[in-house]
Amino acid sequence: MIVVGRPDHHDNPRRRQSPARRRLARRWFRAVSAMAAALLLTGCDGPQSVLAPSSEDARLMALLSWWFFGAGALILAVTLGLLVIALSLAWRGGQSRPISFRASMVLVVSGGVVAPALAIVAVTYTGVMIGDETEGADGRSATAPTVEVDGRMWWWEFRYLDKNGAVIAVTANELHLPVGERARLRLTSDNVIHSFWVPNLQGKTDLIPGKDNVLYAQPAVSGVWRGQCAEFCGMQHALMGFVVVAQPRPAYETWLADQAADAAVTSGPGLDAFLNNGCGVCHAIRGTAADGQAGPDLTHLASRATLAAATLPNTRGNLGGWITSTHEVKPGALMPAIAPEPEELQHLLDFLGALK
Amino acid sequence: MTDAAIETEIAVDASGLPRLTPHTHPLWWGVLGAVAIEAAVVANLLTSYFYLMSQSETWPPAGIKPPDPFWATVVLCVLPLSSVTMWWAGRGSDADRKTQLAMGVTASVALASLALVFRWLQFAAFGVRWDEHAYGSILWAITGFHFTHVVSAILGTAVVAVLAWMDYFTSERQLGVVVDTLYWYFVAAVFLPIYLVLYWAPRWL
Amino acid sequence: MNDIDPALDLRARRTDPIHEELAEIERTWLSPPGFFGWFTHVNHTSIGLRFLVTSFAFFLIAGLLGLAMRLQLVTPLNDFLGPETYNQVMTVHGTAMMFLFAIPAVEGVAIYFVPLMIGARDLAFPRLSAFGYYIYLIGGTVFFASLFVGMAPAAGWFNYVPLSGPEYAEGRGVDIWVTMITFIEVSALTAAVELIVSIFKLRAPGMSLNRMPIFVWAALVMAFMIMFAMPSVIVASAMLTMDRLVDTQFFNPDLGGSPLLWQHLFWFFGHPEVYIILVPALGIVTTIVVTFTQRSVFGYTALVLAIVGVGMVSFGLWVHHMYATGLPLLGRSFFQAASSMIAIASGVQIYCWIATMWGARIRFDTPMLFVLGFFAIFVTGGLTGVMVASVPFDRQVHDTYFVVAHFHYVLVGGAVFPLLAGLYYWFPKVTGRMLHERLGKWSCGIAFVGFNLTFFPMHQLGLEGMPRRIYTYLPGLGWDFLNQLATVGAFVLAAGFALTFWNVFRSLRAGDAAPANPWHAPTLEWATTSPPLNCNFAEQIVVRSDQPIWDWERTGRRAVVGGMRIDRRETIVTTLLDARPQSVQILPTPTPWPFYSAVVLSVCFFGLIFSPWFYVAGIFGAFATFVFWFLPRRRSEVI
Repeated sequence: MIVVGRPDHHDNPRRRQSPARRRLARRWFRAVSAMAAALLLTGCDGPQSVLAPSSEDARLMALLSWWFFGAGALILAVTLGLLVIALSLAWRGGQSRPISFRASMVLVVSGGVVAPALAIVAVTYTGVMIGDETEGADGRSATAPTVEVDGRMWWWEFRYLDKNGAVIAVTANELHLPVGERARLRLTSDNVIHSFWVPNLQGKTDLIPGKDNVLYAQPAVSGVWRGQCAEFCGMQHALMGFVVVAQPRPAYETWLADQAADAAVTSGPGLDAFLNNGCGVCHAIRGTAADGQAGPDLTHLASRATLAAATLPNTRGNLGGWITSTHEVKPGALMPAIAPEPEELQHLLDFLGALK
Repeated sequence: MTDAAIETEIAVDASGLPRLTPHTHPLWWGVLGAVAIEAAVVANLLTSYFYLMSQSETWPPAGIKPPDPFWATVVLCVLPLSSVTMWWAGRGSDADRKTQLAMGVTASVALASLALVFRWLQFAAFGVRWDEHAYGSILWAITGFHFTHVVSAILGTAVVAVLAWMDYFTSERQLGVVVDTLYWYFVAAVFLPIYLVLYWAPRWL
Repeated sequence: MNDIDPALDLRARRTDPIHEELAEIERTWLSPPGFFGWFTHVNHTSIGLRFLVTSFAFFLIAGLLGLAMRLQLVTPLNDFLGPETYNQVMTVHGTAMMFLFAIPAVEGVAIYFVPLMIGARDLAFPRLSAFGYYIYLIGGTVFFASLFVGMAPAAGWFNYVPLSGPEYAEGRGVDIWVTMITFIEVSALTAAVELIVSIFKLRAPGMSLNRMPIFVWAALVMAFMIMFAMPSVIVASAMLTMDRLVDTQFFNPDLGGSPLLWQHLFWFFGHPEVYIILVPALGIVTTIVVTFTQRSVFGYTALVLAIVGVGMVSFGLWVHHMYATGLPLLGRSFFQAASSMIAIASGVQIYCWIATMWGARIRFDTPMLFVLGFFAIFVTGGLTGVMVASVPFDRQVHDTYFVVAHFHYVLVGGAVFPLLAGLYYWFPKVTGRMLHERLGKWSCGIAFVGFNLTFFPMHQLGLEGMPRRIYTYLPGLGWDFLNQLATVGAFVLAAGFALTFWNVFRSLRAGDAAPANPWHAPTLEWATTSPPLNCNFAEQIVVRSDQPIWDWERTGRRAVVGGMRIDRRETIVTTLLDARPQSVQILPTPTPWPFYSAVVLSVCFFGLIFSPWFYVAGIFGAFATFVFWFLPRRRSEVI
């Protein structure tokens, strides 16, 4: 697809030199159109997108982004435009026509000092204002939830706290929030550094061992979005996702109460299979003898939309696959794969599927 | 380069310029550069000390006391003394007094070795191991860093001392003495900020 | 051409008689030929060329690793590279590009060309440059080798703790990383000190500071930056080694340590590091703009101030890599303002170049085309840089492909393109042959298109939620097409670079013979033969302006230094500001001791991975080799 500029054999010096210029311009044009096409062909919205904000915080950041892109494109066009003009001037007369000292000074001062200075002021001002707005607790109601977000390798534990800091409910990999309220997320880790990021709602903040960080998230509408760990944390960093669900307050409270309750099924062959295969050593199912803390709390596993840190949809088949072929889904995951007898596996899946 | 149209004239006659310039030789600048790098390393270490201090509620941590300053204060006096003997040796070298040079550098080596013995005595009294707490880690790291540099200065100066006793140097041919002296001043002087940070910062701050 | 010693064949025509004095000085400065002779070379041209060749070889390997990464990411849930392999590949790609290619490449250009540009016969400490090279070669080779034996580091190029600490990074991978850092920092620091001293003291008479080529200013600023930035990573890597080797607790928050200490120390080095790479590349751009417009650069003083400004301001920006760590907003805002300020220093340079080029008759040969490519790509990268300087914007795009796009734009645009421009520009001088011009233009065009195709889509990928350092991604997130585009682009980019590699290969044997000054450039490196004489200049030159060669042509006269010995290696020493003659430095002859020292130190650095006793062995071993290195063999050689 590359078109070669054909040498022009006219005597006119301008024409003699233009193949190079045409090549340059053509090259740049091709690159730009390719980029534009790429942009237009793929949408800017999505369940994990900075440019599809679903909260006021994210909306401010998205707005800032668009202004940045517009200004950036303008500055790029002006700078490269001036460059092209600078390069093409001599061709007219064939002589080297230097610019006057004065004109050069104007160019350097306006392009190199004034314009950047304006940019600096704009970036600093908007950065402070929006930073303050998006990282602060302003407007937080008394009923807004507080959730401890604990980053593990490689999944997310969410512990809902009441007003006194006691734990109401524990779940994993799926965070529910009430619409319109500014939830307070306490970010902790006792292993390596992770980063909590749900682009449709908020900027990211790291979970750093030894340093408790706080992040606020306030969904403006109901919806479901995806978040992902955004700080390299080892082998399975790539598949350490989570789901955020924003619901109206009543629905949220129902969900929370359900999560706080003990397991729906607390006996039977499924539970026996669970305990016999050692699952209870790592996983807790409240109301049963399984009380492990190393892995996600499974008390209400069936109420979740995904498995394995938002890697697989939560279906019976996927759950079976995850249990028996863990390391084909996530090589390096700390959960050992188990190989129960087929009948035992069916009981297990029945049991887990009933844990709503 | 062999262009016949350009006339060549000799504008500078280098035959009269000195070749032996121990006090302004480029190597002097080079060692100054090395000193600057080492100083930057010390600055990073001391800043890390303060950073770790700022992240801790108590510093040193509970149950550990700041190190006893007695022997370190002795060293604080011995090292400058060794710099004085080095300076004296340098003066001797500049004046072609070989014995003064040789005795001066030997005295510096002896004094610095003594300082190392005092430091060694003190290690046992630190009261915390490097693996028990970040406080111990940074204390031992900074101490070990300086100790290593005193060792390297002693080794280099020992060679200079041997050569000095062998009448190797003259007032013109003494670049080795000059750069060794420069390095020595640094190693001695850098002990002061280290001493203040390790021994007094936890007491005063 | 092979039947006569090339050092002696300096005549304009084969029928000219050989000038006996010139032949003798060339013998004095001859680098010994042969296999064993290779280990004794100390001439800066020899060492500089080695840095360049080795760095480009490492660039090739690291680039292939990048291609492997793109192959893995071309479709979701691909299994070309599993997570363990991918994490090693991505770590080695980034680490090697930053430490084993970019820095040594710009160092190599400086080591080769600074003495020529300042009219000196060599750098101030030739044995030290040789030592620095061997350290680099050994460290880099072992680092790459670790990948092929599955022992490579896998914690990312900035190696955050606790992931890289003793608890979570098992095996020797991180230790290899830390050791490589030690090698590179020693190599870079030796080069830095040497460049500063040479630039300050070895300039030709008359080359006052304001007559130095801009590239030399850039090399000077780069060297100062190395001196003040590297100690930070020395301390960080030493602390990490100690945590892993002898159980110190620097980064363990349970026992008083702090993971953020690593980040502060690393980024205090890491941010200036990228400007260390950029500043000399910008110097190359100025050089080429001047030559290909045949004009003095506009705003010499402004450019120098801008370069110095970049150097200094870059030390005050490091927290912008830590905007997501939960540090207080007030502190982060300070760094936000400082980070955007670098736009002024960069903007001034860009517009000085545009002013220089305005209305000039430009020679659109390959070096100039790479410079134009630099303009387009680097300005784009600089603009996204100002964007990520903003705290709220960065909190969305930090650690995503947006940042990957940004830094490839500034590094490939701002460093690789100028380096390639420099390659095409200086290849004739170094080898005596011209690179093929048509092949060069194709290489530039294809690389430019391929680069944008690879990295522009990544801006959008980041905005659509794709984080960095992921070995795979799920389908249905809308990332598939852009990743495919990027992978295709990567192969186009590789093809573009491959054309240049092929060009070099081919032209070494079959390229047109190059005259001394094929581009009609004004600076002193073009005032010697192609390749340079062993002694660089038959007679050292006295300069009267910042464009000596053009002056000679205009006035018909040239001034030189007389009275230098031809039977031993000497170069003139001048004063710092005005370059008035001060003394003459006697330089060392070829010796293998830098090589022996490097080997001993390397053994000890690697031994440290396994036992702390190598620290002691290292001190005494290095000391022993240094004694033999410095000890004059005869009384008459004592200085």
